[in-house]
Amino acid sequence: MSLQQSSLKVSVNNSPELLERVLRVARHRGFKVELLSWNSESSTLEMTVSSERKISLLSKQLEKLIDVTQVVNLTEITQEQRA
Amino acid sequence: MAVTAITQPQANIMRGADLLVSYLKQEGVDTVFGYPGGAIMPVYDALYDAGLKHVLCRHEQGAAFAAVGYARASNRVGVCIATSGPGATNLITGLADAYMDSVPIVAITGQVTSAVIGTDAFQEIDVLGLSLACTKHSFMVTDKDDLANVLKQAFTIAKSGRPGPVLVDIPKDIQLAEVEAIIETSHYDPIPAVEHTDLKAAIALLEQAKQPIVYVGGGVGMAQAVDQLQKFIEVTGIPSVTTLKGIGAIPTTSPYALGMLGMHGNRAANLSVHDCDLLVVIGARFDDRVTGHLATFAQGAKVLHLDIDPAEIDKIRDCDVSICGNLVTLLPELAVPLEIKEWQQKCWDLKQEFGTSYNAPYVSIYAPQLLRQLSDKLPHNAVVTCDVGQHQMWVAQHMRFTRPENHLSSAGLGTMGFGLPAGIGARHARPNDPVVVVSGDGSFMMNVQELGTIKREQLNVKIVLIDNQRLGMVRQWQQLFFEERYSETILTDNPDFVAIAKAFDIEARCITQQSEVLSALDEMLKSDGAYLLHVRIHEADNVWPLVPPGASNADMMESV
Repeated sequence: MSLQQSSLKVSVNNSPELLERVLRVARHRGFKVELLSWNSESSTLEMTVSSERKISLLSKQLEKLIDVTQVVNLTEITQEQRA
Repeated sequence: MAVTAITQPQANIMRGADLLVSYLKQEGVDTVFGYPGGAIMPVYDALYDAGLKHVLCRHEQGAAFAAVGYARASNRVGVCIATSGPGATNLITGLADAYMDSVPIVAITGQVTSAVIGTDAFQEIDVLGLSLACTKHSFMVTDKDDLANVLKQAFTIAKSGRPGPVLVDIPKDIQLAEVEAIIETSHYDPIPAVEHTDLKAAIALLEQAKQPIVYVGGGVGMAQAVDQLQKFIEVTGIPSVTTLKGIGAIPTTSPYALGMLGMHGNRAANLSVHDCDLLVVIGARFDDRVTGHLATFAQGAKVLHLDIDPAEIDKIRDCDVSICGNLVTLLPELAVPLEIKEWQQKCWDLKQEFGTSYNAPYVSIYAPQLLRQLSDKLPHNAVVTCDVGQHQMWVAQHMRFTRPENHLSSAGLGTMGFGLPAGIGARHARPNDPVVVVSGDGSFMMNVQELGTIKREQLNVKIVLIDNQRLGMVRQWQQLFFEERYSETILTDNPDFVAIAKAFDIEARCITQQSEVLSALDEMLKSDGAYLLHVRIHEADNVWPLVPPGASNADMMESV
């Protein structure tokens, strides 16, 4: 499988270790973070990741984090808009 | 948000440490396992006369495994307590074990005083940072008024959905601070609702199948859905296989129960899975020790996956239909009678063809046979814990269990040193049920200090120590796959295990001949208190069958 890029919007309940939790899961599950934007005021994180693994593996693992309230695959939304 | 007050005879103000202990009692915790130290001293002060049983283990790793054993034997939340720094780091392996096996435990650690966190203070370690990879969730309490709510959340998270370990790190000043004894109830409930369309699709898959197999994992026991599973199997008639953690969920006397599958599974189980056209996966996760070479695992089968954790669906193997939900309510909805008589007969024939035999390869004691004899002598309510290695696989293959909570084996993490402290935890959770620890000479030494806990608590725990003077499983792999280069696996310098036991006032005996086995087992089981039976076996005994790494489960080795 080839390297694929995807973008996720992750909504969270903020905590001091929140970024560590999200980044640890991304690294451990085999996703390289290409771009990251964190807005502590709105408690949202937008990240672009690349991996040979399918993005649902990461989004489901992120959804398991207690402090994560929602994970939206922005890539899918963009593709739908294009279609 | 509903508010519940902790029952407290005096004022509604107490130290954080007292609130912790009161909360544990309110949660129904009757026993905690731990080890004191500087940063957790207020909690130990609160425990001193609180009427909550504390078991002093002799290493924090022992305390964590005892909490795991307590939780797994009873389906309750296990609790362990440690101090900051080395106390906390010593818990990590136990937390990782609980995480891999989805065991609900709450670990309480002391932390240095808030003002000096981040200054490399004495016995300071960032345990919150350490916990991220080995807990379901973790907290550091930074506001004294949050303590009660954090504790409530910790227990809720540990036991809800897919269970797991939760760590609560409490700085010493918060343990000493005056807090109000109020607990807000939390609303964390991640169990997804079952959609009717999924059920219809699942039933359609079941009804179309000609050769279905049920593949049962640890999730069934964790969901306390053993009765529902057995009813499902009775109604559908589907032949079944289990993982290491699924053992006990289906009685081995059930006609089409084919036993454990995977690397050391039996041939009937692996061949049936290989040939099936529908794999019904119930609370299992396609572990690599189960699947062998993934591409050839149940290659022609459709997959129906039932699990409480959505992240397990399509993680390793894409499925055709999945349902995330509580197995207790889900399984009865799927219990439809099926017409699969030919397939049942085929599985039955395989089961007969590859039944267990006990032809000992050497004149010395044959551990599989001894374990089967032990199993036959134990009552159905006995709890058996084991360590990791050859003896662990022999326990899984040759002992018989009627409930998953009677077979405690470190499955996912495969942690040597698990058995003895887990047995201590199980004994506290179920004081009226016999507890037997089966260990190996390698594993036993990993937490041998817990003999001190057995002595201190006067625990009636039986220990069967299977000794081949080797790190046997690694030795077996060296023999098979590393040209017999026995690197660091020869333990002919083992200590005198009987003398070690006796140093802790534990009765002990060593046996070396087959003729001694039955009377020695009787002597051990009839003894009043703790007992260590040291069993010397031949170093060349191997665990068979074995699926070599990278091979299909259909290609099992039966000998060297």
